[in-house]
Amino acid sequence: MSPRILGAASPFILTIFVFLFLAVALFIGLGQPPFQTLAVLVQFAVGDSYSLSQTMAKTTPILLCALAAAVPGRLGLISVGAEGQLHAGAIAGTALVLLAPVWPAPVLIPLMLIFAAIGGAIYGYIPGLLRARLDVNETIVTLLMNYVTVLLVAALVFGPWRDPASQGWPATMQFPPNAVLPALPGSRIHLGLLLGLVAALALHIYFNHSRWADKVRILAGNRKVGETFGLSFGFWVMVLMSVGGALAGLAGISEVSAIQGRLQQSISLGYGLTGFLVSWLSRHQPLIILPVSLCVGGLVAGSDALQMFAKVPAASAVILQGLLFAAALAVPGLLARWRKAQ
Amino acid sequence: MSVEMIAILASWGIATLRSATPLIFATLGETLVQRVGIINLGTEGEMLLGACVGFAVGVATGNPWLGLMAGALAGAVLSLLHAGLVLGAGANQIGSGLAVWMIALGATSYFGRALVGQQVTPLPSLGSDWSDGIPLVGTILSQMTMAAPMALAAVVFAAWWLNQTRPGLHWKAVGESALIAAENGIRPIRVRVTAIMVGGLLAGLGGAILSVDYTQTWAQEMTKGRGLVAVGLVIVARWKPALVLPVCLLFGLTEVATLRLQSAGFELSPHLLGTAPYLVVLLVLVGSHVVARRASAMPADLKAVFQ
Repeated sequence: MSPRILGAASPFILTIFVFLFLAVALFIGLGQPPFQTLAVLVQFAVGDSYSLSQTMAKTTPILLCALAAAVPGRLGLISVGAEGQLHAGAIAGTALVLLAPVWPAPVLIPLMLIFAAIGGAIYGYIPGLLRARLDVNETIVTLLMNYVTVLLVAALVFGPWRDPASQGWPATMQFPPNAVLPALPGSRIHLGLLLGLVAALALHIYFNHSRWADKVRILAGNRKVGETFGLSFGFWVMVLMSVGGALAGLAGISEVSAIQGRLQQSISLGYGLTGFLVSWLSRHQPLIILPVSLCVGGLVAGSDALQMFAKVPAASAVILQGLLFAAALAVPGLLARWRKAQ
Repeated sequence: MSVEMIAILASWGIATLRSATPLIFATLGETLVQRVGIINLGTEGEMLLGACVGFAVGVATGNPWLGLMAGALAGAVLSLLHAGLVLGAGANQIGSGLAVWMIALGATSYFGRALVGQQVTPLPSLGSDWSDGIPLVGTILSQMTMAAPMALAAVVFAAWWLNQTRPGLHWKAVGESALIAAENGIRPIRVRVTAIMVGGLLAGLGGAILSVDYTQTWAQEMTKGRGLVAVGLVIVARWKPALVLPVCLLFGLTEVATLRLQSAGFELSPHLLGTAPYLVVLLVLVGSHVVARRASAMPADLKAVFQ
């Protein structure tokens, strides 16, 4: 490897090492054998076809939520609203299924996805509009709006949408087979993953090779310069926030349709925040988001299994993600400081 | 006005104040942090850790005051992570705050499992045999603990300290421009670390008051975004400690109203009512932007974070 590539990759490699060090320290702190736990974690993430299927299932919403943060991120916006948009998409998509449960799959599934995307897009558009028109900080608005749709889902499944046949369990009726996203036989790898892959590739092309890419780049670099060229910052804020929301909305309906089989509470294991972390680690680059969301998906799936088999609570996955985030934030700055000192 | 009317108003007032008290501490802390040019979304995590540690220590020692102190301390210690990432490693402030939140979220749901269902000794009520004899005042005092008066005192003290003292002036100078402050012999890094720790201390105390004094239980993720609400309310309060009080009381009033509507048998989903405090905060946030330009009151160095 040339020294230049090594130089560019060194913050990344060092971040991984710092993270592994922190993870070992965490497991020691929790009274778990550190290396054994890590090995089991990796095994539960990629060890066999079942684990891989679980990892892919977790990767799907994380990938879509990461793209949801990356799209506005390209304009320098910090949207942490994927969690709320995911729930908005789940509500909108489920609404259609409840209205027209007997429609044939070739009609129902595309419409369900479109409904979910629109639901998420509207939920992304609102903070975009507020930012564009009134300069309201989109980070705080998206963070607060997250709580609203999570509660709305609860209100719906405890109230009008509760299936009387579910014996008190707050959930809608089971989705009919014609409303379930197609999946690879015998696995939990479903159409949502394909949507995420296509979206990532499309966004890569869009942000690097389209004639709009330069507009977004100029505006992101310097809003005033962009506006002297006649570009509208507000317009792009609203467009990119809506597109991001649509992607998170797709994550929501795929969880409901393909994984849970019905709308209920806790359709998301904090995928919104995890996706934001992935997007941040990948510097909002769709092609980097792909492998990073796979790794974090493996981490989430592995910790999930760890909880079942090794009695390590799933909360440790959240701590690990936080530590990964902290490591990724700390390493580049410290490295730059160290180089300067030399 | 009838006596009954006054009694109802007083009871709503007390409930509002009690509900707002944890938020007053957190918002006050975040105000001070933002006045030195730093934004800390980790407030949510610091509150959560404060609630968890405070409750645990309160349960273990049987002394709620020790719980509050431990919660405040836990918040301050956690805030050092934000200080280290932002000031030491030059990390993005939004990212760092979210990392702090994530770590606290994971850690409290990990260690908090043992606290679910535990009983904590609450703070003593302010009522006494002597005051019970006085109509209205006696009732009010018996429904109150020291937490709310402490919050009011903290607001008054912070407003005075920031505007009337020399160190307060230094803090404001650092928030406007760390560069110019440094040229005038102020040490901006030291001021900012101190402010972040004070913010963490107040957020942790707020969290501990939430679990030990207000709900008197521990539940996973029990702050439910109060720390993020605090960050939003700082903007509504125009970065002024004195305005922290009214904006937090508005949040408290909304929460009390939704709780009372529910217990009055109002036919609306409790989850739907639960969205009201967030919607009210969002509305006042948007409203404050309609009324006044944000740029006028925001500390200049803080603007750089959002560019």
